[in-house]
Amino acid sequence: MIEFQNVSKVYQGDVKAIDDINMTVNDGEFVILLGPSGCGKTTLLRMVNVLESITEGDIRVQGKSSKELNPIELRRNIGYVIQSNGLFPNMTIEDNTMIVPDLLGWDRKKKRNRFNYLMDLVGLNPDDYRKRFPHELSGGQQQRIGVIRAMASDPPVMLMDEPFGALDPIIRHRIQDEFLAIQQEVKKTILFVSHDIDEAIRMGDRIALIREGKIMQYDTPTEILTHPKNEFVSEFVGQDRVLKSMSLYSVQDLVDAFNLESSKQEVADTKMIHSDTSLRVAISMLLNQEADQIVIVDQQDNQLGSLTLNLIEKFLHREVKGKER
Amino acid sequence: MFTISQLFNYIQSDLGNIITYTIEHAQLVGLAILIAIIIGVPLGIYLTTNEELAETILQIASIFITIPSIALFGIMIPILSNIGQGIGFLPALIALVLYSQLPIIRNTYTAINNVDPNIRDAAKGIGMTNFQRLIKVEIPIGMPLIMAGVRTATVLNIGIGAIAAFIGSGGLGVLINSGISRGNTNMVMTGAIFVSILALIADFLLKWIQKKATPKGIQ
Repeated sequence: MIEFQNVSKVYQGDVKAIDDINMTVNDGEFVILLGPSGCGKTTLLRMVNVLESITEGDIRVQGKSSKELNPIELRRNIGYVIQSNGLFPNMTIEDNTMIVPDLLGWDRKKKRNRFNYLMDLVGLNPDDYRKRFPHELSGGQQQRIGVIRAMASDPPVMLMDEPFGALDPIIRHRIQDEFLAIQQEVKKTILFVSHDIDEAIRMGDRIALIREGKIMQYDTPTEILTHPKNEFVSEFVGQDRVLKSMSLYSVQDLVDAFNLESSKQEVADTKMIHSDTSLRVAISMLLNQEADQIVIVDQQDNQLGSLTLNLIEKFLHREVKGKER
Repeated sequence: MFTISQLFNYIQSDLGNIITYTIEHAQLVGLAILIAIIIGVPLGIYLTTNEELAETILQIASIFITIPSIALFGIMIPILSNIGQGIGFLPALIALVLYSQLPIIRNTYTAINNVDPNIRDAAKGIGMTNFQRLIKVEIPIGMPLIMAGVRTATVLNIGIGAIAAFIGSGGLGVLINSGISRGNTNMVMTGAIFVSILALIADFLLKWIQKKATPKGIQ
Protein backbone atom coordinates (compact mmCIF):
# COMPACT_ATOMS: atom_id res chain seq x y z
CA MET A 1 0.00 0.00 0.00
CA ILE A 2 1.19 3.49 -0.82
CA GLU A 3 -0.32 6.43 1.04
CA PHE A 4 0.23 10.05 0.04
CA GLN A 5 -0.56 12.41 2.89
CA ASN A 6 -0.70 16.13 2.05
CA VAL A 7 2.34 15.73 -0.18
CA SER A 8 3.82 18.87 -1.71
CA LYS A 9 7.01 19.67 -3.52
CA VAL A 10 8.17 23.25 -3.86
CA TYR A 11 11.18 24.16 -5.96
CA GLN A 12 13.30 27.23 -5.34
CA GLY A 13 11.42 30.37 -6.22
CA ASP A 14 8.13 29.00 -4.90
CA VAL A 15 7.30 26.86 -7.92
CA LYS A 16 4.85 24.24 -6.70
CA ALA A 17 5.53 21.08 -8.66
CA ILE A 18 3.29 18.95 -6.44
CA ASP A 19 0.45 20.60 -4.59
CA ASP A 20 -1.06 18.90 -1.55
CA ILE A 21 -1.65 15.39 -2.94
CA ASN A 22 -3.72 12.94 -0.93
CA MET A 23 -4.29 9.50 -2.36
CA THR A 24 -4.00 5.85 -1.48
CA VAL A 25 -2.93 2.95 -3.65
CA ASN A 26 -4.28 -0.25 -2.11
CA ASP A 27 -2.47 -3.57 -1.93
CA GLY A 28 -2.48 -5.28 -5.30
CA GLU A 29 -3.95 -2.27 -7.02
CA PHE A 30 -2.70 -0.99 -10.38
CA VAL A 31 -2.90 2.80 -10.38
CA ILE A 32 -2.01 5.05 -13.32
CA LEU A 33 -0.71 8.56 -12.84
CA LEU A 34 -2.00 10.22 -15.99
CA GLY A 35 -1.52 13.74 -17.26
CA PRO A 36 0.07 16.03 -19.83
CA SER A 37 3.84 16.45 -19.79
CA GLY A 38 5.09 18.72 -17.06
CA CYS A 39 2.08 18.04 -14.82
CA GLY A 40 4.26 16.55 -12.09
CA LYS A 41 3.33 12.88 -12.48
CA THR A 42 6.92 11.68 -12.81
CA THR A 43 8.03 13.89 -9.92
CA LEU A 44 5.28 12.40 -7.76
CA LEU A 45 6.38 8.88 -8.69
CA ARG A 46 10.02 9.62 -7.94
CA MET A 47 9.11 11.01 -4.54
CA VAL A 48 7.94 7.55 -3.52
CA ASN A 49 11.46 6.09 -3.71
CA VAL A 50 13.05 9.39 -2.62
CA LEU A 51 14.75 10.13 -5.93
CA GLU A 52 12.99 13.47 -5.41
CA SER A 53 12.77 15.02 -1.97
CA ILE A 54 9.45 15.72 -0.27
CA THR A 55 8.96 19.36 0.79
CA GLU A 56 5.83 18.84 2.85
CA GLY A 57 3.66 15.93 3.90
CA ASP A 58 4.53 12.26 4.02
CA ILE A 59 4.51 9.20 1.78
CA ARG A 60 4.05 5.85 3.50
CA VAL A 61 4.97 2.66 1.66
CA GLN A 62 3.69 -0.53 3.30
CA GLY A 63 2.90 1.55 6.37
CA LYS A 64 6.40 2.95 6.77
CA SER A 65 7.24 6.60 6.23
CA SER A 66 10.02 7.20 3.74
CA LYS A 67 11.46 9.66 6.25
CA GLU A 68 12.12 6.88 8.75
CA LEU A 69 13.93 4.60 6.33
CA ASN A 70 17.36 4.74 4.79
CA PRO A 71 16.76 5.59 1.09
CA ILE A 72 19.05 2.75 -0.06
CA GLU A 73 17.06 0.14 1.93
CA LEU A 74 13.79 1.68 0.84
CA ARG A 75 14.71 1.56 -2.87
CA ARG A 76 15.79 -2.09 -2.68
CA ASN A 77 12.27 -2.93 -1.58
CA ILE A 78 10.56 -1.04 -4.37
CA GLY A 79 10.75 -2.17 -8.00
CA TYR A 80 11.62 0.65 -10.37
CA VAL A 81 11.22 0.62 -14.17
CA ILE A 82 12.01 3.57 -16.42
CA GLN A 83 11.15 4.36 -20.03
CA SER A 84 14.61 3.88 -21.47
CA ASN A 85 14.90 0.55 -19.56
CA GLY A 86 18.16 1.69 -17.87
CA LEU A 87 19.85 -1.69 -18.32
CA PHE A 88 23.56 -1.63 -17.54
CA PRO A 89 25.38 -2.17 -20.87
CA ASN A 90 28.43 -3.67 -19.15
CA MET A 91 26.49 -6.51 -17.53
CA THR A 92 24.96 -9.66 -18.96
CA ILE A 93 21.20 -10.10 -18.94
CA GLU A 94 21.42 -12.40 -15.91
CA ASP A 95 23.63 -9.97 -13.98
CA ASN A 96 21.34 -7.08 -14.91
CA THR A 97 18.24 -8.92 -13.81
CA MET A 98 19.77 -10.18 -10.59
CA ILE A 99 21.36 -6.90 -9.52
CA VAL A 100 19.03 -6.29 -6.57
CA PRO A 101 19.21 -9.89 -5.26
CA ASP A 102 22.97 -9.50 -5.63
CA LEU A 103 22.95 -6.31 -3.53
CA LEU A 104 20.79 -8.15 -1.01
CA GLY A 105 23.34 -10.98 -0.86
CA TRP A 106 21.31 -13.88 -2.25
CA ASP A 107 23.29 -17.03 -2.96
CA ARG A 108 24.03 -18.15 -6.51
CA LYS A 109 21.49 -20.95 -6.64
CA LYS A 110 18.63 -18.81 -5.39
CA LYS A 111 19.53 -16.13 -7.94
CA ARG A 112 19.66 -18.64 -10.79
CA ASN A 113 16.26 -20.11 -9.91
CA ARG A 114 14.74 -16.67 -9.67
CA PHE A 115 16.24 -15.66 -13.04
CA ASN A 116 14.86 -18.77 -14.71
CA TYR A 117 11.42 -18.19 -13.20
CA LEU A 118 11.26 -14.54 -14.27
CA MET A 119 12.48 -15.21 -17.81
CA ASP A 120 9.79 -17.86 -18.21
CA LEU A 121 7.28 -15.30 -16.98
CA VAL A 122 8.05 -12.97 -19.89
CA GLY A 123 8.44 -15.79 -22.40
CA LEU A 124 12.20 -15.59 -22.94
CA ASN A 125 14.34 -18.71 -22.75
CA PRO A 126 16.68 -18.20 -19.75
CA ASP A 127 19.57 -20.17 -21.24
CA ASP A 128 19.44 -18.33 -24.55
CA TYR A 129 19.75 -14.93 -22.89
CA ARG A 130 21.71 -15.53 -19.69
CA LYS A 131 25.12 -14.56 -21.09
CA ARG A 132 24.00 -12.00 -23.63
CA PHE A 133 24.32 -8.25 -23.33
CA PRO A 134 21.57 -5.63 -23.49
CA HIS A 135 22.67 -4.23 -26.87
CA GLU A 136 22.10 -7.66 -28.43
CA LEU A 137 18.38 -7.54 -27.59
CA SER A 138 15.50 -5.80 -29.36
CA GLY A 139 13.77 -2.85 -27.72
CA GLY A 140 10.84 -4.98 -26.63
CA GLN A 141 13.08 -7.65 -25.12
CA GLN A 142 15.14 -5.02 -23.30
CA GLN A 143 11.99 -3.56 -21.80
CA ARG A 144 10.84 -7.01 -20.65
CA ILE A 145 14.21 -7.41 -18.92
CA GLY A 146 13.76 -3.94 -17.40
CA VAL A 147 10.41 -5.08 -15.97
CA ILE A 148 11.64 -8.38 -14.53
CA ARG A 149 14.71 -6.69 -13.08
CA ALA A 150 12.34 -4.55 -11.04
CA MET A 151 10.53 -7.71 -9.90
CA ALA A 152 13.70 -9.64 -9.12
CA SER A 153 13.62 -9.51 -5.34
CA ASP A 154 9.82 -9.82 -5.39
CA PRO A 155 9.13 -6.35 -3.95
CA PRO A 156 5.49 -5.75 -3.00
CA VAL A 157 5.48 -2.31 -4.63
CA MET A 158 6.54 -1.32 -8.14
CA LEU A 159 7.04 2.13 -9.66
CA MET A 160 6.92 2.33 -13.43
CA ASP A 161 7.75 5.53 -15.32
CA GLU A 162 6.25 5.24 -18.82
CA PRO A 163 7.86 1.81 -19.14
CA PHE A 164 6.40 1.08 -22.57
CA GLY A 165 6.49 4.62 -23.93
CA ALA A 166 9.46 4.16 -26.25
CA LEU A 167 8.16 1.02 -27.97
CA ASP A 168 6.35 0.90 -31.29
CA PRO A 169 2.56 0.49 -30.99
CA ILE A 170 2.36 -3.20 -31.90
CA ILE A 171 5.07 -4.28 -29.46
CA ARG A 172 3.73 -1.88 -26.83
CA HIS A 173 0.28 -3.45 -27.07
CA ARG A 174 1.68 -6.95 -26.77
CA ILE A 175 3.84 -6.11 -23.77
CA GLN A 176 0.93 -4.34 -22.08
CA ASP A 177 -1.12 -7.52 -22.41
CA GLU A 178 1.75 -9.66 -21.17
CA PHE A 179 2.26 -7.42 -18.21
CA LEU A 180 -1.44 -7.45 -17.32
CA ALA A 181 -1.35 -11.25 -17.36
CA ILE A 182 1.72 -11.22 -15.09
CA GLN A 183 0.02 -8.76 -12.77
CA GLN A 184 -2.97 -11.13 -12.52
CA GLU A 185 -0.54 -13.67 -11.14
CA VAL A 186 1.75 -11.59 -8.95
CA LYS A 187 -0.69 -8.92 -7.70
CA LYS A 188 1.84 -6.17 -7.09
CA THR A 189 0.93 -2.74 -5.83
CA ILE A 190 1.78 -0.65 -8.88
CA LEU A 191 2.12 3.06 -9.52
CA PHE A 192 2.47 3.61 -13.25
CA VAL A 193 3.11 6.92 -15.01
CA SER A 194 1.58 7.45 -18.45
CA HIS A 195 0.53 10.30 -20.72
CA ASP A 196 -1.50 7.99 -22.90
CA ILE A 197 -5.19 7.80 -22.03
CA ASP A 198 -5.66 4.57 -23.99
CA GLU A 199 -2.88 2.87 -22.07
CA ALA A 200 -4.34 4.16 -18.80
CA ILE A 201 -7.79 2.76 -19.61
CA ARG A 202 -6.39 -0.60 -20.67
CA MET A 203 -4.03 -1.07 -17.76
CA GLY A 204 -5.30 0.70 -14.69
CA ASP A 205 -7.61 -0.37 -11.90
CA ARG A 206 -7.79 3.31 -11.06
CA ILE A 207 -6.50 6.44 -12.77
CA ALA A 208 -5.28 9.60 -11.06
CA LEU A 209 -5.52 12.42 -13.56
CA ILE A 210 -3.03 15.12 -12.67
CA ARG A 211 -2.68 18.71 -13.77
CA GLU A 212 -0.19 21.26 -12.45
CA GLY A 213 0.65 19.11 -9.45
CA LYS A 214 -2.94 18.61 -8.36
CA ILE A 215 -5.21 15.56 -8.70
CA MET A 216 -8.13 16.42 -10.97
CA GLN A 217 -9.87 13.07 -10.55
CA TYR A 218 -8.97 9.74 -8.96
CA ASP A 219 -11.35 7.07 -10.14
CA THR A 220 -11.83 3.87 -12.08
CA PRO A 221 -11.41 4.15 -15.87
CA THR A 222 -15.16 3.71 -16.36
CA GLU A 223 -15.98 6.53 -13.96
CA ILE A 224 -13.41 8.83 -15.54
CA LEU A 225 -14.83 8.16 -18.99
CA THR A 226 -18.47 8.34 -18.05
CA HIS A 227 -18.38 10.96 -15.30
CA PRO A 228 -15.53 13.36 -15.87
CA LYS A 229 -15.51 15.60 -12.84
CA ASN A 230 -14.54 18.79 -14.62
CA GLU A 231 -13.81 20.31 -17.97
CA PHE A 232 -10.11 19.45 -17.86
CA VAL A 233 -10.85 15.76 -17.36
CA SER A 234 -13.42 15.55 -20.13
CA GLU A 235 -11.10 17.45 -22.46
CA PHE A 236 -8.17 15.21 -21.58
CA VAL A 237 -10.06 11.98 -22.13
CA GLY A 238 -11.24 13.40 -25.44
CA GLN A 239 -14.42 13.83 -27.46
CA ASP A 240 -14.36 10.15 -28.29
CA ARG A 241 -14.58 9.07 -24.68
CA VAL A 242 -17.71 7.05 -25.35
CA LEU A 243 -15.86 5.14 -28.03
CA LYS A 244 -12.87 4.74 -25.69
CA SER A 245 -15.08 3.33 -22.97
CA MET A 246 -16.07 0.63 -25.46
CA SER A 247 -12.63 -0.90 -25.03
CA LEU A 248 -13.53 -1.59 -21.40
CA TYR A 249 -16.29 -3.97 -22.44
CA SER A 250 -16.08 -7.25 -24.26
CA VAL A 251 -18.62 -8.74 -26.61
CA GLN A 252 -19.37 -11.22 -23.80
CA ASP A 253 -20.58 -8.33 -21.60
CA LEU A 254 -23.08 -7.50 -24.28
CA VAL A 255 -24.15 -11.12 -24.63
CA ASP A 256 -24.71 -11.25 -20.86
CA ALA A 257 -26.52 -7.93 -20.76
CA PHE A 258 -29.09 -8.96 -23.34
CA ASN A 259 -29.20 -12.67 -22.55
CA LEU A 260 -28.52 -13.40 -26.17
CA GLU A 261 -29.28 -16.91 -27.19
CA SER A 262 -27.88 -18.87 -29.96
CA SER A 263 -29.99 -18.55 -33.03
CA LYS A 264 -29.91 -21.96 -34.60
CA GLN A 265 -30.13 -20.61 -38.08
CA GLU A 266 -26.91 -20.96 -40.05
CA VAL A 267 -25.89 -17.64 -41.46
CA ALA A 268 -23.83 -17.98 -44.56
CA ASP A 269 -21.06 -15.64 -45.68
CA THR A 270 -20.75 -13.72 -42.43
CA LYS A 271 -17.73 -12.99 -40.35
CA MET A 272 -17.38 -14.36 -36.85
CA ILE A 273 -16.19 -12.66 -33.72
CA HIS A 274 -14.94 -14.19 -30.47
CA SER A 275 -16.86 -13.22 -27.38
CA ASP A 276 -13.73 -12.02 -25.58
CA THR A 277 -13.04 -9.34 -28.20
CA SER A 278 -13.46 -5.77 -26.99
CA LEU A 279 -16.54 -3.90 -28.12
CA ARG A 280 -14.33 -1.22 -29.62
CA VAL A 281 -12.85 -3.74 -32.02
CA ALA A 282 -16.32 -5.14 -32.67
CA ILE A 283 -17.61 -1.73 -33.75
CA SER A 284 -14.78 -1.16 -36.15
CA MET A 285 -15.29 -4.65 -37.57
CA LEU A 286 -18.93 -3.90 -38.19
CA LEU A 287 -18.08 -0.60 -39.85
CA ASN A 288 -15.38 -2.21 -42.00
CA GLN A 289 -17.42 -5.24 -43.03
CA GLU A 290 -20.23 -3.24 -44.59
CA ALA A 291 -22.24 -6.15 -43.19
CA ASP A 292 -25.24 -5.77 -40.96
CA GLN A 293 -24.19 -8.41 -38.53
CA ILE A 294 -21.36 -10.55 -37.23
CA VAL A 295 -21.82 -13.93 -35.61
CA ILE A 296 -20.63 -14.11 -32.03
CA VAL A 297 -18.86 -17.33 -31.14
CA ASP A 298 -17.27 -18.57 -27.90
CA GLN A 299 -13.92 -20.28 -27.51
CA GLN A 300 -15.38 -23.59 -28.71
CA ASP A 301 -16.84 -21.89 -31.79
CA ASN A 302 -20.40 -22.26 -30.48
CA GLN A 303 -22.59 -19.54 -31.90
CA LEU A 304 -23.89 -17.21 -29.22
CA GLY A 305 -25.96 -14.87 -31.36
CA SER A 306 -25.38 -12.09 -33.81
CA LEU A 307 -23.96 -8.67 -33.28
CA THR A 308 -25.30 -5.57 -34.98
CA LEU A 309 -24.53 -1.87 -34.67
CA ASN A 310 -28.05 -1.44 -33.44
CA LEU A 311 -27.43 -3.84 -30.57
CA ILE A 312 -24.21 -2.08 -29.59
CA GLU A 313 -26.02 1.23 -29.58
CA LYS A 314 -28.61 -0.20 -27.21
CA PHE A 315 -25.87 -1.58 -24.96
CA LEU A 316 -24.06 1.73 -25.01
CA HIS A 317 -27.21 3.51 -23.97
CA ARG A 318 -27.74 1.17 -21.10
CA GLU A 319 -24.21 0.71 -19.79
CA VAL A 320 -22.41 3.91 -20.55
CA LYS A 321 -24.79 6.76 -21.13
CA GLY A 322 -27.23 5.27 -18.65
CA LYS A 323 -24.69 5.97 -15.95
CA GLU A 324 -24.45 9.65 -16.85
CA ARG A 325 -26.72 11.33 -14.46
CA MET B 1 78.44 10.87 -43.56
CA PHE B 2 75.49 8.88 -42.21
CA THR B 3 74.56 5.49 -43.62
CA ILE B 4 72.18 2.78 -42.49
CA SER B 5 74.97 0.20 -42.22
CA GLN B 6 76.97 2.51 -39.94
CA LEU B 7 73.88 2.89 -37.76
CA PHE B 8 73.49 -0.88 -37.45
CA ASN B 9 77.18 -1.23 -36.66
CA TYR B 10 76.86 1.32 -33.88
CA ILE B 11 73.78 -0.37 -32.43
CA GLN B 12 75.51 -3.74 -32.48
CA SER B 13 78.67 -2.46 -30.83
CA ASP B 14 76.85 -0.59 -28.04
CA LEU B 15 73.82 -2.88 -27.58
CA GLY B 16 74.40 -3.47 -23.86
CA ASN B 17 74.26 0.24 -23.03
CA ILE B 18 71.33 0.87 -25.35
CA ILE B 19 69.27 -1.79 -23.61
CA THR B 20 70.19 -0.43 -20.18
CA TYR B 21 69.07 3.07 -21.25
CA THR B 22 65.83 1.67 -22.68
CA ILE B 23 65.05 -0.14 -19.42
CA GLU B 24 65.82 3.01 -17.41
CA HIS B 25 63.52 4.97 -19.67
CA ALA B 26 60.71 2.45 -19.33
CA GLN B 27 61.10 2.37 -15.55
CA LEU B 28 60.95 6.16 -15.25
CA VAL B 29 57.86 6.45 -17.45
CA GLY B 30 56.18 3.37 -15.98
CA LEU B 31 56.53 4.58 -12.41
CA ALA B 32 55.40 8.09 -13.38
CA ILE B 33 52.26 6.73 -15.08
CA LEU B 34 51.46 4.47 -12.14
CA ILE B 35 51.64 7.41 -9.72
CA ALA B 36 49.70 9.59 -12.17
CA ILE B 37 46.89 7.00 -12.34
CA ILE B 38 46.76 6.67 -8.55
CA ILE B 39 46.36 10.46 -8.26
CA GLY B 40 44.49 11.29 -11.45
CA VAL B 41 41.71 8.67 -11.63
CA PRO B 42 40.30 9.22 -8.10
CA LEU B 43 40.67 12.98 -8.57
CA GLY B 44 38.82 12.85 -11.90
CA ILE B 45 36.03 10.81 -10.27
CA TYR B 46 35.82 13.18 -7.32
CA LEU B 47 35.62 16.21 -9.63
CA THR B 48 32.37 14.89 -11.15
CA THR B 49 30.76 15.70 -7.80
CA ASN B 50 32.16 19.23 -7.67
CA GLU B 51 31.70 21.24 -10.87
CA GLU B 52 33.43 24.41 -9.68
CA LEU B 53 36.55 22.67 -8.45
CA ALA B 54 36.61 20.67 -11.70
CA GLU B 55 36.95 23.89 -13.73
CA THR B 56 39.85 25.05 -11.59
CA ILE B 57 41.74 21.77 -11.45
CA LEU B 58 41.41 21.10 -15.17
CA GLN B 59 42.69 24.60 -15.89
CA ILE B 60 45.70 24.11 -13.63
CA ALA B 61 46.44 20.79 -15.32
CA SER B 62 46.16 22.50 -18.72
CA ILE B 63 48.68 25.14 -17.64
CA PHE B 64 51.19 22.49 -16.58
CA ILE B 65 51.01 20.80 -19.95
CA THR B 66 51.81 24.11 -21.74
CA ILE B 67 55.03 24.65 -19.77
CA PRO B 68 57.96 23.56 -21.97
CA SER B 69 59.50 20.51 -20.38
CA ILE B 70 63.01 21.93 -20.30
CA ALA B 71 61.69 24.93 -18.35
CA LEU B 72 59.82 22.71 -15.88
CA PHE B 73 63.01 20.76 -15.19
CA GLY B 74 64.82 24.07 -14.71
CA ILE B 75 62.23 25.29 -12.23
CA MET B 76 62.50 22.11 -10.20
CA ILE B 77 66.28 22.19 -9.77
CA PRO B 78 66.33 24.99 -7.11
CA ILE B 79 63.17 23.67 -5.39
CA LEU B 80 64.38 20.09 -5.03
CA SER B 81 67.95 21.16 -4.24
CA ASN B 82 66.60 21.91 -0.77
CA ILE B 83 66.34 18.16 -0.18
CA GLY B 84 69.48 17.41 -2.17
CA GLN B 85 67.57 16.03 -5.18
CA GLY B 86 67.90 18.95 -7.60
CA ILE B 87 68.88 16.70 -10.48
CA GLY B 88 68.39 13.04 -11.26
CA PHE B 89 65.46 10.64 -11.10
CA LEU B 90 63.14 12.46 -8.67
CA PRO B 91 62.66 15.77 -10.53
CA ALA B 92 62.17 13.86 -13.77
CA LEU B 93 59.55 11.66 -12.11
CA ILE B 94 57.68 14.64 -10.66
CA ALA B 95 57.65 16.43 -14.01
CA LEU B 96 56.28 13.39 -15.81
CA VAL B 97 53.58 12.88 -13.19
CA LEU B 98 52.52 16.52 -13.62
CA TYR B 99 52.40 16.22 -17.41
CA SER B 100 50.25 13.08 -17.17
CA GLN B 101 47.61 14.67 -15.01
CA LEU B 102 45.69 16.54 -17.71
CA PRO B 103 44.90 13.59 -20.01
CA ILE B 104 44.17 11.25 -17.11
CA ILE B 105 42.04 13.60 -15.01
CA ARG B 106 40.17 15.04 -17.97
CA ASN B 107 39.39 11.65 -19.53
CA THR B 108 38.27 10.14 -16.22
CA TYR B 109 36.12 13.18 -15.46
CA THR B 110 34.54 13.07 -18.93
CA ALA B 111 34.08 9.28 -18.82
CA ILE B 112 32.13 9.35 -15.55
CA ASN B 113 30.17 12.48 -16.48
CA ASN B 114 29.17 10.99 -19.83
CA VAL B 115 27.45 7.92 -18.37
CA ASP B 116 23.86 8.00 -19.64
CA PRO B 117 21.77 9.82 -16.97
CA ASN B 118 19.06 7.16 -17.38
CA ILE B 119 21.51 4.44 -16.43
CA ARG B 120 22.64 6.46 -13.42
CA ASP B 121 19.00 7.04 -12.48
CA ALA B 122 18.24 3.32 -12.75
CA ALA B 123 21.27 2.49 -10.58
CA LYS B 124 20.09 4.95 -7.93
CA GLY B 125 16.46 3.83 -8.11
CA ILE B 126 17.49 0.19 -7.71
CA GLY B 127 19.14 1.03 -4.39
CA MET B 128 22.85 1.12 -5.16
CA THR B 129 25.04 3.23 -2.90
CA ASN B 130 27.21 5.86 -4.60
CA PHE B 131 30.23 3.59 -4.24
CA GLN B 132 28.45 0.55 -5.70
CA ARG B 133 27.22 2.66 -8.59
CA LEU B 134 30.78 3.79 -9.29
CA ILE B 135 32.35 0.33 -9.08
CA LYS B 136 29.64 -1.72 -10.77
CA VAL B 137 28.37 0.71 -13.39
CA GLU B 138 30.13 4.01 -13.94
CA ILE B 139 33.79 2.94 -14.00
CA PRO B 140 33.19 -0.15 -16.20
CA ILE B 141 31.19 1.95 -18.67
CA GLY B 142 33.82 4.73 -18.60
CA MET B 143 36.76 2.32 -18.89
CA PRO B 144 37.57 2.84 -22.61
CA LEU B 145 37.78 6.62 -22.16
CA ILE B 146 39.80 6.38 -18.94
CA MET B 147 42.27 4.01 -20.60
CA ALA B 148 42.52 6.31 -23.64
CA GLY B 149 43.71 9.04 -21.27
CA VAL B 150 46.33 6.72 -19.80
CA ARG B 151 47.55 5.84 -23.28
CA THR B 152 47.86 9.50 -24.29
CA ALA B 153 49.76 10.27 -21.09
CA THR B 154 52.13 7.32 -21.59
CA VAL B 155 53.13 8.20 -25.14
CA LEU B 156 53.51 11.85 -24.14
CA ASN B 157 55.74 10.84 -21.21
CA ILE B 158 57.99 8.59 -23.27
CA GLY B 159 58.77 11.62 -25.46
CA ILE B 160 59.28 14.03 -22.58
CA GLY B 161 61.29 11.42 -20.68
CA ALA B 162 64.01 11.69 -23.34
CA ILE B 163 64.49 15.36 -22.46
CA ALA B 164 64.81 14.52 -18.76
CA ALA B 165 68.29 13.16 -19.52
CA PHE B 166 69.44 16.79 -19.42
CA ILE B 167 68.93 16.77 -15.65
CA GLY B 168 70.62 13.42 -15.22
CA SER B 169 67.69 11.05 -14.98
CA GLY B 170 69.25 8.56 -17.39
CA GLY B 171 67.23 6.82 -20.09
CA LEU B 172 67.40 7.03 -23.88
CA GLY B 173 67.80 10.83 -23.69
CA VAL B 174 71.41 10.18 -22.65
CA LEU B 175 72.15 8.78 -26.12
CA ILE B 176 70.53 11.78 -27.82
CA ASN B 177 72.23 14.24 -25.47
CA SER B 178 75.73 12.88 -25.83
CA GLY B 179 75.22 12.24 -29.56
CA ILE B 180 74.49 15.95 -30.06
CA SER B 181 77.45 17.13 -28.01
CA ARG B 182 79.86 14.73 -29.77
CA GLY B 183 78.37 15.30 -33.20
CA ASN B 184 77.58 11.56 -33.41
CA THR B 185 74.50 11.21 -35.65
CA ASN B 186 74.34 7.46 -35.07
CA MET B 187 73.86 7.93 -31.35
CA VAL B 188 71.15 10.56 -31.87
CA MET B 189 69.36 8.37 -34.39
CA THR B 190 69.58 5.30 -32.16
CA GLY B 191 68.15 7.24 -29.22
CA ALA B 192 65.27 8.56 -31.33
CA ILE B 193 64.51 5.19 -32.88
CA PHE B 194 64.42 3.40 -29.53
CA VAL B 195 62.18 6.11 -28.04
CA SER B 196 59.74 5.53 -30.89
CA ILE B 197 59.91 1.75 -30.52
CA LEU B 198 59.30 2.07 -26.79
CA ALA B 199 56.28 4.32 -27.43
CA LEU B 200 54.84 1.88 -29.96
CA ILE B 201 55.27 -1.10 -27.65
CA ALA B 202 53.76 0.76 -24.68
CA ASP B 203 50.79 1.89 -26.71
CA PHE B 204 50.24 -1.60 -28.07
CA LEU B 205 50.43 -3.07 -24.57
CA LEU B 206 48.01 -0.53 -23.16
CA LYS B 207 45.62 -1.10 -26.04
CA TRP B 208 45.59 -4.77 -25.11
CA ILE B 209 45.00 -3.93 -21.42
CA GLN B 210 42.23 -1.54 -22.44
CA LYS B 211 40.54 -4.31 -24.38
CA LYS B 212 40.82 -6.72 -21.48
CA ALA B 213 39.57 -4.14 -18.98
CA THR B 214 36.57 -3.06 -21.06
CA PRO B 215 33.45 -5.11 -20.31
CA LYS B 216 32.31 -7.25 -23.25
CA GLY B 217 28.90 -5.64 -23.40
CA ILE B 218 30.24 -2.23 -24.42
CA GLN B 219 33.02 -3.23 -26.82
